[in-house]
Amino acid sequence: MTWPGSFRKQETTHVRLLTVLGLTVLTLAVTILLPPVADSQLAGGAAITIVILGLSWLIGWSGQISLGNSGFMAVGAYAAGIWAHHHTASPLIFTFLLATLVGGISGLIVAIPSTRLRGPYLAGMTLAFAAAIAPLAQNFTSVTGGEGGLFFNTLTTPAWFLHFFSGANASINANAQWTADLAVVIAGFMFFLMANLFHSRSGRAMRLVRDNDVAAELMGINLSRTRTLAFVVAAAFAGLGGSLFAIINATVRPESFPLTLSITLLTLMVLGGIGTLSGAVIGGIIYSFSANLVSHVNSLTGVNPTSNLGSNMQGIIFGVLLILTMLFAPRGIAGVVQRIRSFVHSRS
Amino acid sequence: MSSFLTSSFMHNIFGGLAQGVIFSLVALSLVIIWQSTHVLNFAQGAMAMFATYVGLTEIGRGVGYWWCVLLSVVVGMALGGATERVLIRPLYGKPEINPIVVMVGFLAVLEAVATSIWTSTARTIAAPFSQIYFQSHGKLVLLSPFIIFQIVLAIGIMLLVAALFRFTKLGLQLRASALAPEVARLLGVRVNRMLTIGWMLSAGVGAIAAVILASGSFGLFPTDMDGVFVAGFIAAAVGGLESPIGAIAGGLLIGLAEQFILAYWSPNVAPLGGIIILVVALMIRPQGIFTKSVGRRV
Repeated sequence: MTWPGSFRKQETTHVRLLTVLGLTVLTLAVTILLPPVADSQLAGGAAITIVILGLSWLIGWSGQISLGNSGFMAVGAYAAGIWAHHHTASPLIFTFLLATLVGGISGLIVAIPSTRLRGPYLAGMTLAFAAAIAPLAQNFTSVTGGEGGLFFNTLTTPAWFLHFFSGANASINANAQWTADLAVVIAGFMFFLMANLFHSRSGRAMRLVRDNDVAAELMGINLSRTRTLAFVVAAAFAGLGGSLFAIINATVRPESFPLTLSITLLTLMVLGGIGTLSGAVIGGIIYSFSANLVSHVNSLTGVNPTSNLGSNMQGIIFGVLLILTMLFAPRGIAGVVQRIRSFVHSRS
Repeated sequence: MSSFLTSSFMHNIFGGLAQGVIFSLVALSLVIIWQSTHVLNFAQGAMAMFATYVGLTEIGRGVGYWWCVLLSVVVGMALGGATERVLIRPLYGKPEINPIVVMVGFLAVLEAVATSIWTSTARTIAAPFSQIYFQSHGKLVLLSPFIIFQIVLAIGIMLLVAALFRFTKLGLQLRASALAPEVARLLGVRVNRMLTIGWMLSAGVGAIAAVILASGSFGLFPTDMDGVFVAGFIAAAVGGLESPIGAIAGGLLIGLAEQFILAYWSPNVAPLGGIIILVVALMIRPQGIFTKSVGRRV
C-alpha cells in the first residue's frame, strides 16, 4: 500500500525538476542574446547565486548567522586553483567536486566550535574566520602563490560549441557565452539540489531546530548534528561557488575574497529574501548587474564615477539597501512579492 | 635588569600590551552595548573610525591635539546615541539577526562614506609625545613616551568607565536598566534614555581606541578598525560579553598572543591565534571565562 503523501511528494519533485529545467533553458536562451560583457557578468552572478543558496539555507532555515561565507568561498577557490594550476588537463567537473568537498570540510572544521555558539557569538566567530583566511593564503606562498595568487586557464570552450554558436571571427562572444552557460547550468543543478534539501527530512528538522530547539530535541533530532550539517552544506555550496568564481576569472588571489564580500553576500541574501530559493536567484541577478546599477545611480546623481565618491558608491548603496530592507521589509523582495500575491488573491 | 628590559621577550611584552590596550578598549565598548541592549555592534569599529576622522580634519585648522581627541569622542558619542535612536530602537524584540544585519549594513555605509571623503590612505595625528624608543646601555627598550601615554590613557579611560558604573547614580541606573528593565522602569528610571546613554558611552570609549591608532606611527585608514574589531570581539567573547573586567583581560591576552605569534612565526598567522584562543576558551567555558553561567530560558 502506498501512502497518498508519498505519491504527492514524488510529484512535487517532478514539478521542481521541470521548473528548474525550464528556468535554466530560458536563461541559456537569454545568454545567446546578451552581449559578451553581460554574459560574463551573468556567469559571476550564477556563482554568487550558489553561495547565496547555501547562506540562505544556513541563516534562513537553520537560524545560524554566518558572516564567514566569503572565507568558505576562498577555501573552495584555492582548492580549485591549486588543483587546476598543477593539473591543467584534469576535467573541470573533478575540480568542482574537489572544491565542494574541501569547502564542506572547512565548514565542518568551523562548525565544530561554532555550533555551540548562538547568534552574535557565531556571527563574530565566522567573521574572525573570514578575516583570517586572506592572511593565511599570503603566508603559505609556495602553495598559494602568495600575494600574486595563482593563474590557471582551464576553461576552454569546446569545439562543438564554437562551431554551433560562432562564425569564423566571433569567438569572444562564444567564449563568454560558454562561460555563462556553464555557470548557469551548475547554478541550476545546485538550485534543484537545494530545493529538494529544503523540502527533505533534514530541511524540516532544520526549521524545527531553528524555531524551537527544545521541541526538536524532544522529537529525537540531534541538535548539534543538525546544526553542523547546515554549516557543512552552506560551506560546500560556498566552496563550489568560490571555485566557479575562480575558474571564471582564471585566477585566485588573497584579495579576491575580502571581508566586504561577506557583507555583499549578506546584503544580496537579505535583499532577495532570507530563506527563500527565489531570493537567492534574485540576489544573484542583482549581483550580476550591480555594476550597471551603480553606474546608473552615478549618472542619475551626476557623480563622477572615477571620483572618490563614485568608486565607493556600491558600498554606500548596498549598505543603505541592507539597512532599509531589514528595517522596513525584513523578508526581502521575495517576501514583498508573496505579500502582493496573497493580497491580490484575497481580493479576487 | 637592563639586559632584561632590552631582551626580545620584553620587546614582545611591551608590543603586545600596547596593542592589547586598544583591543581592550574596543572589547569594553562592545561589552557596554551588549550589557545594555544585547546587541553585538558590528559597526563599533567603523563608528569609532568615522568619529576620529571627523576629529582629524580639525587638526589641519590649527587646533591642538587634545581638542581633536575631545572632538572625536564627542562626535563618537553623538553618533552612538543617534545610531541607537534611529537604527536599533525599531528592532527591539525582533529576532537577533535583525540588529546584526542592520549594523553590518551601517558598517558598509560608514566605511564607504569615509573612503569617499577622506580616501583610503592612512592619516595620522601627531600626539604631543615622542615616538622614539628609550635606550638602555645603547640597546633599545621597546617603549616610547607615546606607548606609555597610550597605555596610561587606555587604563585611565577604563578606570573612568568603571568608576562611572560603580560609584555614580547614572551608573546605578545604567546597571539597573540592563539587569531588570521592567523593575527599573517602575522605580522611575528612564530606561530608554539609559539605553541611549549606554550606546553613547560605548561609542565614546571606542573612539578613544581609534584615536590611539591614529596617533601611532602607522596612522588610521578607513578599514583599519575591521581587524581591531575582530580582535576586540574575540577579547569580549573570551570574557563572556557580559564582563568588563573579562573584556579588558581578554584584550590584553589577545594582544600579547598575537604579538608573540607575529614575532616567532609570521604576522600572517597572527589573526588565527585569536581564533584559537576563542575556540579553546569557549570549549572550556561556553559562557565566557569571567561570567557566571546562566541557563538559557526556553
